[in-house]
Amino acid sequence: MSDSFLIEYLPILIFFVIAGGAAIAAVAMSYMVGQQNPDPEKNSQYECGFEAFAESRSKFDVKFYLVAILFIIFDLEIAFLFPWAIVLGDIGMFGFWSMVLFLGILTVGFVYEWKKGALDWE
Amino acid sequence: MEYIAVFAPLFAFLIAGLFGKQIGDRGAELITCSFVIAAAISSVFLFYNVILSDLENHSVMIVPVADWIVSGGFKASWTLRIDELSVVMMCVINIVSACVHVYSTGYMSHDKSRARFMAYLSLFTFAMLMLVTSDNLLQLFFGWEGVGVASYLLIGFWHHKDSANSAAIKAFVVNRIGDLGLILGIMTIFVIFGTISYDGIFSQAADKMHDSFNFFGYEIHAITLACILLFIGAMGKSAQLGLHTWLPDAMEGPTPVSALIHAATMVTAGVFLVARFSPLFEFAPEALIFVCVVGAATAFIAATIGMTQFDIKRVIAYSTMSQLGYMFFALGVSAYGAAMFHLVTHAFFKALLFLGAGSVIHAMSNEQDMRNMGGLWKKIPVTYGLMWIGGLALAGIPPLAGFYSKDIVLEAAYADYSWFGDFAFWAGIAAAFMTAFYTWRLMIMTFHGKCRAVKEVQNHIHESPRVMIYPLVILAIGAIVSGYALSSYFVGSTSYEVVEVDENGNEYIDIRNKENFWGDAIYVKEENDTIEKAHHVDMWVKILPLIMGITGIAFAYLFYMYLIRVPEIFARRFRPIYSLFYNKWFFDNIYEYIFVRNVFSFGKVFWKTGDERIINGFGPDGLAYMTNIFAKIYSKLQTGYIFHYAFVMMIGLVILVSWFFFGFSAD
Amino acid sequence: MIDLALDGYMSALPEIFLALSGLVFLIAGVFRGNSGTTFLCYSAAFAFVFSLILLAGVNTGEAFSDLFIMDDFARYIKVIILLGAIASVVYAASFLKDEQIFRFEYPVLMIFAVVGMMVMVSANDLLTVYLGLELSSLSLYVLAAIHRESIKSSEAGLKYFVLGAISSGFILFGCSLIYGFAGATNFDDISVLLSGDNSLNIGVIFGMVFILSGLAFKISAVPFHMWTPDVYEGAPTSVTAFFAIVPKIAAIALIIRILFEVFPSMSEQWQQVVVFISVASMAIGAFGAIAQKNIKRLMAYSSIGNMGYALIGVAAATQNGVYSVLVYVTIYMVMTVGVFGIIMCMRKRGYAAESISDLSGLSKNSPVMAYGMAILMFSLSGIPPMAGFFGKFMIFEAAVNAEMYILAVIGVLLSVVAAYYYLRVIKIMFFDEAEDRFDCDIAFSRRAMIAISVILIVAFIFYPNIVFDGAMSASLALFPK
Repeated sequence: MSDSFLIEYLPILIFFVIAGGAAIAAVAMSYMVGQQNPDPEKNSQYECGFEAFAESRSKFDVKFYLVAILFIIFDLEIAFLFPWAIVLGDIGMFGFWSMVLFLGILTVGFVYEWKKGALDWE
Repeated sequence: MEYIAVFAPLFAFLIAGLFGKQIGDRGAELITCSFVIAAAISSVFLFYNVILSDLENHSVMIVPVADWIVSGGFKASWTLRIDELSVVMMCVINIVSACVHVYSTGYMSHDKSRARFMAYLSLFTFAMLMLVTSDNLLQLFFGWEGVGVASYLLIGFWHHKDSANSAAIKAFVVNRIGDLGLILGIMTIFVIFGTISYDGIFSQAADKMHDSFNFFGYEIHAITLACILLFIGAMGKSAQLGLHTWLPDAMEGPTPVSALIHAATMVTAGVFLVARFSPLFEFAPEALIFVCVVGAATAFIAATIGMTQFDIKRVIAYSTMSQLGYMFFALGVSAYGAAMFHLVTHAFFKALLFLGAGSVIHAMSNEQDMRNMGGLWKKIPVTYGLMWIGGLALAGIPPLAGFYSKDIVLEAAYADYSWFGDFAFWAGIAAAFMTAFYTWRLMIMTFHGKCRAVKEVQNHIHESPRVMIYPLVILAIGAIVSGYALSSYFVGSTSYEVVEVDENGNEYIDIRNKENFWGDAIYVKEENDTIEKAHHVDMWVKILPLIMGITGIAFAYLFYMYLIRVPEIFARRFRPIYSLFYNKWFFDNIYEYIFVRNVFSFGKVFWKTGDERIINGFGPDGLAYMTNIFAKIYSKLQTGYIFHYAFVMMIGLVILVSWFFFGFSAD
Repeated sequence: MIDLALDGYMSALPEIFLALSGLVFLIAGVFRGNSGTTFLCYSAAFAFVFSLILLAGVNTGEAFSDLFIMDDFARYIKVIILLGAIASVVYAASFLKDEQIFRFEYPVLMIFAVVGMMVMVSANDLLTVYLGLELSSLSLYVLAAIHRESIKSSEAGLKYFVLGAISSGFILFGCSLIYGFAGATNFDDISVLLSGDNSLNIGVIFGMVFILSGLAFKISAVPFHMWTPDVYEGAPTSVTAFFAIVPKIAAIALIIRILFEVFPSMSEQWQQVVVFISVASMAIGAFGAIAQKNIKRLMAYSSIGNMGYALIGVAAATQNGVYSVLVYVTIYMVMTVGVFGIIMCMRKRGYAAESISDLSGLSKNSPVMAYGMAILMFSLSGIPPMAGFFGKFMIFEAAVNAEMYILAVIGVLLSVVAAYYYLRVIKIMFFDEAEDRFDCDIAFSRRAMIAISVILIVAFIFYPNIVFDGAMSASLALFPK
């Protein structure tokens, strides 16, 4: 039983291998082919606007998080929209209006955050 | 109408009790008096509606108020049952209560907490009304305990007096013994009939008359058991022999209380209970014999004690007990109507006597010992006159009320033609003599002869204010007319003769039966109808009580007016008997010796070692100590740190999961 | 393919209406700003009332491909939830004004929380359970922390959120275990699968224990109760009132539905867990409360203890038991409304006074309030003829009928311990030296709520059948003939 059960996960393993290979290939290619002019700014880590390896209790601006969370919400919205778009032909008007409702609720949230000023940086 | 009659006293109580401070003593008096008077008036209207408006078809009203408990087969609701029996009781209660309310405004005028007193009176009135209008045993029990509580509060009203407090407690405890009987009776009835509503019980009474319980191998007739248990409850409340010791002590309460509760209403609750359960008692002949014998013995013994007492209120209290004995032996010979009749007339004249005595006490600056009175008739003539009316009624002198009712009670006892009926009759005759004797002993010692009071008291003697006299007048009217006016209804012969002409033209006498006044409220088996038989007893039986009354009065005059030495000589000559009477047949002493002392010492053992050391040590005190320690330890666990909380949650989950893992994988 | 008939959706009409009105209020609020908070509170109360009316007309049945069920049980619980929510939002209106916390999100969050709870109660699928639970929980987390300027409020919100997330994790893990071992998420399917299989699957039992633990957190049963005192104390009082009144009822209803609809075949197993949780809750509720000085903390322990009593009825695992729980939580809801109303009235010179000793001498300063509180305390400690007595009595009766004598005896004993701290409140109010008066400008709406609650508690003895009948038909819905 366990063999056939594991077989079902084979595509995921293959996916991992390909993804890993692609990533390694990309880094390796740029390392080999690209021109390199390192300077201190380029060598430092890039992380949402503040030092990655600093005192963890330092103050930082909550706006970064706000933007990140809002981003995730709309990111998830897109994640829902893709499969929906693919099967829209099968699920018909019911599916269409379901998504409209969903987007409508999201829009209410969007209006709220806009009005609250969550989108203003200053 | 029926709502006013029953609930007006409740509202009076609530208003006077809760807002006594705001509305003041005067306001409380006004409110309670007017509400109770309204109740009295509406109950008279009810009486008219239920009975007099249509003598043939009595309209029995069942007024539902609310559902109370519905639990499986058990159902109890708040219902007012307005039938002949309860409407008569309502009239008595509300009228006497109204008189007492008004009287109290005068009698208690020097007291500090009048509002509280009036509130208690109204509370009592409501509880009593609840008792008599109940449609099931639970509601009856509610009223029963309600009057018990109100009585406790009122006896102990002067709570700064030790004697009042102990009298209140005594009344409560002795009544509890009777209540135990009542509770057991209610349970027995529920076991037998499966219901506690009157209709349900009475309709099945005939079917269940052969049921019996098996009790440790003895077969016990079920209905008899239930009836005797109910009667034990009645004995407690109505101060019958054995459970009577609380009643004389209850005189520690203010006099209006004695008049309302311990003469006219609460003590008659037992009589009402037995009359209400006549459909059941009729199927329990042994229980009826028990009732009859206890009643007759009470009537006799209480009268003997009454002859020797010196406290004016105690004399009347023993007289009350004796008259209640009359009512009970009337019940015992199935003369329920006669018992109710005596109840009504007695309520009037006994309340009159009590309030009159109160008026005397008021005049004498709270002196109650008759040895310190005397010669008052000139100074308080109105009270004297009213007391005469009450005394004549009590002694059974025509045409006053007591004559009619006492007569029919005694005749009915005679007409039962049984050994216990005869016993009751002769005990009653003897008691009738003694009643007249001690009543006039009281009158003479109080009002005639030389005044034996100290000077300052003498100077203060004054007639009572009008608010106290008017209620007395109303009661006096009741004591005069109620016997004559009601006798044909309450205990009238149900058969009457009509001269008819048959087809041959000959006249003949046809005997017909008319509807009984009590309708379905009282059930009497045909062969037990002693009231009917009582109308046909020999002439000497009818006259004997009257003769006894007159000779009793004559003897009293002789002994206390003219031959003042004689009572003392008697007392010395018959020392044993006199001291037996004077010491109330040693009931209190015997109880003290057998029960009270032992119970107290028992109690002390339990209290000192049992309760304080063992139970308190391991129980409340120990537990309370442990509880506090627990609480402290626990508060320490509540650290406020979120990771501790999460840790506890995880531990809890692990415990539950492993419990299952090890607990069930084994199965 | 997909049933579009409106009938199915009609079963969820009250929830749909509430959700839509929540969205509308959110937009309205954000355009109007915080000044409209009071108005929005009353609008929310109106929305609850309207939802209650809709609820009366809704037919029973299943909807959303059997994800959602509407039966008499759900209807009864929803009525209780909505009534509690109405009381809470009315309290909030005046309380927010007193405390100058003007946040229009407050009523909106309350609406969403209530929608979540109603969905929980109607859940017929593990996914619906989680959906409703999270909707309500997330709203509640924010509500706890709504007073951002107060450190205590923020702390309460944070604690509640972190621990709540852990409990949600329990539930999700339990759901996945059950799905993994039983192969279904629908309640009907799972119960059919379980009843057919005689050998009990340890995986499913584990899943059940995890779900039960997560839900035990929501009703603050021991050992998942630690958050309760801190959150009750820290959150603004109107939020605490809401926490105490409403979500517990939804959660205990969900426990009942899951245990009796999904796992009736395993009742022997879960009975033991429930008994353990119940006894532990009663004990901690009784002993923990004694040392408390803050009245809100006291009520927190009181609610822990009361949930313990309610669980006795669940542990009985009979229809009678469910019936008694429903009666109990109904009475509990009414009592809590009254008590928190009075707690909100405890203000001295414009500031909230939350210490129990602040009540001392209340009988002299404002006797009406003192008597009301005394009645509620008597009722909470289960003294007849108050309603609380009947609740406790029926619970114990159910336990005795199920032959769980020891549990009933423990319950009675612990209720004696609990009576100690309730009666202590009365003692402080009536016999201690009077302190400063409370401010006497109490909003009419709050007075009315307290009065209604006290009257219901006292009058229950006269008309108990309204509750009894509703609870009876609700409990019968879970036990198909």
